[in-house]
Amino acid sequence: MMSKTYKMNKIISCIFYLLILTIKLARTTSETFTEELLIKPLYSEQLYAHFQFTTKWDVDPSTENFNHTRIFPRALGELLKRYNIQELHVSLTGGLWRYENWGYPVTDAAPGAEVWAWFKRDTPDVDQNWKRLANSLSGLLCASLNFVDSSNSISPEFTFQPRGVTNLSSINNKYLRYASLPREVVCTENLTPWKKLLPCGSKSGLASLLNSGYIHNTRYHSVALHLRPVCRDDSCESLALELQQSVSLVYDYLILGSRNWSLRKLFGQGVAKSCPLASRSEIFVDTTVSSTHSFELNPPPDEVVTSIRGGHESTFAKYKESQSIAVLSPPPLHANQYLTGYGQERGGIVTKIFNNHWGNLDVVLLQNIPWYVPVYLHTLKVVTNGVENNPVALRYIPGRQRERAYYLEVLLKLPPKSTTAVSIDFDYVFLKWQEYPPDANHGFYIGSAVVSTNLPLARNFTGLPQDGSTLADSFNASRSGYLVQVRTEIMVITLPTPDFSMPYNVICLACTVVALAFGPLHNITTRRLTLKPKPSEKLFVKLKRGLTEFLQK
Amino acid sequence: MGLLTDPSSGQGKLVKSLLKYHPKICALVCLGGVIWFCALACPQMNANTYFSENALLPGLVKSQFHEDRAASTFHDELVDEMKKYEDSLPYPWLLAKFKQLGLDAYVHNFTLYSPLGTGEKYSGQNVYGILRAARTSSTEALVLSVPYRPPSSVHAPTTASIAIMLAFAKFANKEKYWAKDLIFLITEHEQLGIQAWLEAYHGVTCGNDNVLDHGDLKGRAGAIQAAVNLEIHNTRIGQMDIKIEGLNGQLPNLDLVNLALKMCTKEGLYHTFKNKGPEYHRDPIKEWKYHFRNLLAMAATQATGIPNGNHGLFHRFGIQALTMEGFEQSKARGSSKVGFLSIGRIIEGTFRSLNNLLERFHQSFFFYLLSSPDRYVSIGLYMPSVCLIAGALFIKSCAKWFKFQQDSSQETPDESQASDGKDIEPVKVDKIIIVFLFTHFLGVVLMNSPQYIIEISDHYNYNIQTSIFYTLIGLSVTFLLLPFMVPFRRCERSVNAFSILAMLELGTALICTSMNNFSLGMFCAVMSVPLALLINPTTCRYYSVLQRMLWLLAHPLVVLVAVVLANTYMMFPNESFKEKVYRSLDASQQAVIYSIVDSMIYGNWLFSVVTSIFIPNWLCFWCVAFSSTMPKNKVTDEKKRN
Repeated sequence: MMSKTYKMNKIISCIFYLLILTIKLARTTSETFTEELLIKPLYSEQLYAHFQFTTKWDVDPSTENFNHTRIFPRALGELLKRYNIQELHVSLTGGLWRYENWGYPVTDAAPGAEVWAWFKRDTPDVDQNWKRLANSLSGLLCASLNFVDSSNSISPEFTFQPRGVTNLSSINNKYLRYASLPREVVCTENLTPWKKLLPCGSKSGLASLLNSGYIHNTRYHSVALHLRPVCRDDSCESLALELQQSVSLVYDYLILGSRNWSLRKLFGQGVAKSCPLASRSEIFVDTTVSSTHSFELNPPPDEVVTSIRGGHESTFAKYKESQSIAVLSPPPLHANQYLTGYGQERGGIVTKIFNNHWGNLDVVLLQNIPWYVPVYLHTLKVVTNGVENNPVALRYIPGRQRERAYYLEVLLKLPPKSTTAVSIDFDYVFLKWQEYPPDANHGFYIGSAVVSTNLPLARNFTGLPQDGSTLADSFNASRSGYLVQVRTEIMVITLPTPDFSMPYNVICLACTVVALAFGPLHNITTRRLTLKPKPSEKLFVKLKRGLTEFLQK
Repeated sequence: MGLLTDPSSGQGKLVKSLLKYHPKICALVCLGGVIWFCALACPQMNANTYFSENALLPGLVKSQFHEDRAASTFHDELVDEMKKYEDSLPYPWLLAKFKQLGLDAYVHNFTLYSPLGTGEKYSGQNVYGILRAARTSSTEALVLSVPYRPPSSVHAPTTASIAIMLAFAKFANKEKYWAKDLIFLITEHEQLGIQAWLEAYHGVTCGNDNVLDHGDLKGRAGAIQAAVNLEIHNTRIGQMDIKIEGLNGQLPNLDLVNLALKMCTKEGLYHTFKNKGPEYHRDPIKEWKYHFRNLLAMAATQATGIPNGNHGLFHRFGIQALTMEGFEQSKARGSSKVGFLSIGRIIEGTFRSLNNLLERFHQSFFFYLLSSPDRYVSIGLYMPSVCLIAGALFIKSCAKWFKFQQDSSQETPDESQASDGKDIEPVKVDKIIIVFLFTHFLGVVLMNSPQYIIEISDHYNYNIQTSIFYTLIGLSVTFLLLPFMVPFRRCERSVNAFSILAMLELGTALICTSMNNFSLGMFCAVMSVPLALLINPTTCRYYSVLQRMLWLLAHPLVVLVAVVLANTYMMFPNESFKEKVYRSLDASQQAVIYSIVDSMIYGNWLFSVVTSIFIPNWLCFWCVAFSSTMPKNKVTDEKKRN
């Protein structure tokens, strides 16, 4: 009896504990998911659509073991735990964001694949974790991120500061890794696994608009994933984990066929219903441009949005007038990158940075140059409006063949309304014959440079503030500076390439020769030679024998 | 080989026969080279062109271009607009059009500081629009260029090509399949504009410094893969001519040429190369004649090293380019004319094929000769001809070397026996090298002289062109006195060694030149080798004078005047002889000046190569021709008498 009650007590207490535990769990694992879509007609002939899916999980990322998640994708959580990651940013982009004409996007991304991560300070071997992380991400997103390793990664000191909550005094770029794969072609195969990370998948909600048949017909498409620790509330006493998943698309009216756009025209279908797991599902349409490119929204935006249409309310003559070139004011800072020189001996990389702002701008230029493009620091030249401009600070780690990329970071002060050209020369090198890709004559890629600055004003700026996680947070969010990270073009260079068809021809020729030589050689070496006495017959006898042989036949 | 190099056993069978028959062998080999070249025009020696690059997929897509009405409108507008601009580019109109079509439009300014004389300054403007491809991030680009010609220009107008270019841009910007940016470039001042634009695009200077200020470009679009230069002279054309010869004789990849021709065939437009369409004859002689004429026409253009269209300046930068020139009149019987629709479709087909390229042009041929639009001679087949001709020089020098060694091995025992060794003069190696280097130093002086002449004549206010020309002639004539300063011209052995050196240099220079510019190498070889083979240190006075006279004919300046004279005879057969001479002198002066200016602006190496290699080498042979040696047996006879 005693033992029974004891048992009962034990069971009850067990249940009680479990209950408390579950209540506790339920409280600590409060997860919120919001989905937003921003549609912004650009000043040029393009339309910008940005999807932002944010998952915020009130959990301390350092203590959580990610065995159980509700909305947050568990696959990512496991990565976070296993590789000791503090922050992770991945983007897969097709096309180039044209800063000069389009202004700034919500999130910047370089063409191809770009990934950077901060590891926690107690990580023993950052390089190994980084390589493993890249391999895992490669499987998770079906991208060639497995090519990321220490030979094409760098640890920039200034450009990529942690975006989330961090201990300022403990920032050490030893724990940062940045790599880009400019050659990566982004397509449906990357979008599908990315959509699977969303709580509703692509079945309902705004994500159902992401039909690959439509979104790859754009001038620019970028899929991104940002993971960082944030404050749980304004007091910032405890941490939370935030995952931002975004898709940026730029449609061209010329390719669309008209300036009248609707969700159906852009994405192939309207929104059926919102994701039931989302706490907010919202669509924002930027109507700032309507003063020059007049358009009207139908139905009015305060209602439940199922389809949005823009139409011209003006007469034909007015339409023509509105089509006249609107004065396009370029954004305060944009940059280009190009190669100089010809032939296959010496070349140069030039990055041109345009400051259209009326004040000074402090910028950081980051170059991640692959090891097969050996640059020379003594040729670094910074020229602003024809006058030499000494960098404020310079960080340079020379690369090593097949081991380490060239890392160059330059801190510059740009005078107002100026153009600055940063140039550096390089040599063309020969590679080992196995290092050439199958399409050797396509050329080799150099990734885009990153120009970062804190803009004093938010003209052409749509990015999120650092303390915000959703698009709604970016409204009326005036800050002292607006961080932009302009990505330049990627470049393709032709390294000295051997004629790969020649070895093939040589092999064919050599095999033929060997085959031809083999027969007689084999014949000679294997034949047994015996001495045969030469019959000394007279001509008459010979003829007679031949005749009899002939007759016998 | 050991047999050949071992001096002690230098009397092998081969060597003996070489020593005995080398004049005949040389003549035979030389003739063989010329015959080989002529035989290249036989159908057995050349082959049908074919597409080597599979990624091009030429003409496989259905043409969709339908903006021919837009092209006519653009044409009419442009003709109206051009009336407002006497001799400059209507760039506001062009810029506005590019922007309306949704392209990134830019202006490029450049300045030319006249290389002849100071102070003169010419400025020009190019306009270009970039269609940003939807599929990629501006890593690669294709160029469609048109030279703008104001109404006052002496060249045929290109208004129609600007119209069709704009219409094509309008069509192309709506398409989403572009994987390479398209650059639409309108240049001013013919080749100068395109050179400035290319230099600015690549951030380099090809010619002398401070001559062409290429300015800067505001927009770029990555590595340029291919370029098509369009010169359509009329709104309706009956013939499309393909021009390929570029600067310094460089040629575009044969696949690109095939592509352009294939597109013309597809649209049913009569296409030509060197103004001759494809012809098919039953008679083998007629067929050979047709092919040979085309070969010679191409070789003549290529040998000058001057591009025959704006495409020629792209080649240096590794960009494959050609010019498509559309004429209203067609030479073909019964051929029909086509309008903007077909021209647009030809452009569309070409660019969509180029858009398919995954790798840059690397297959097919970069070195070839075309004997008709659809037949080619590859480098493997044409190089033997020039190698045979130059080989004659090597054979002769080889024979001379053996002779030389034979003499020395025979004389060495004699020397020990002879009481005084003075009669056998040792080879003056140091002096030979000094003379050899000195001739080349003179060549370098000649090469750099124009710059100094310009400065001096500018100081004294002389006419720069005439002063350059006559100074060059004066210098060349002065150099003719060089043989009298040669210290070893009475020593036969030294002269022989010197002539071996000269022959080896000429042979090497010819083969090297023909590797770069086959036509130039072949032309030089045919002109100089037979004469060079005749030059020997001789005792016969008449032969000596004869060889000097003949060798004078091979002087590059004399050759130039002769070629120009022949050209004048063909161009103006009705003028009197005196007029012809004056005219050709004037023309050769122009030719010299242009080659100097070309080397200063474009980096054309014809002038440099001729002055720094061929003239010094010519001087070496000149020295050999002036050697006055005593025959050896005579010397020994005299000795005996003594």
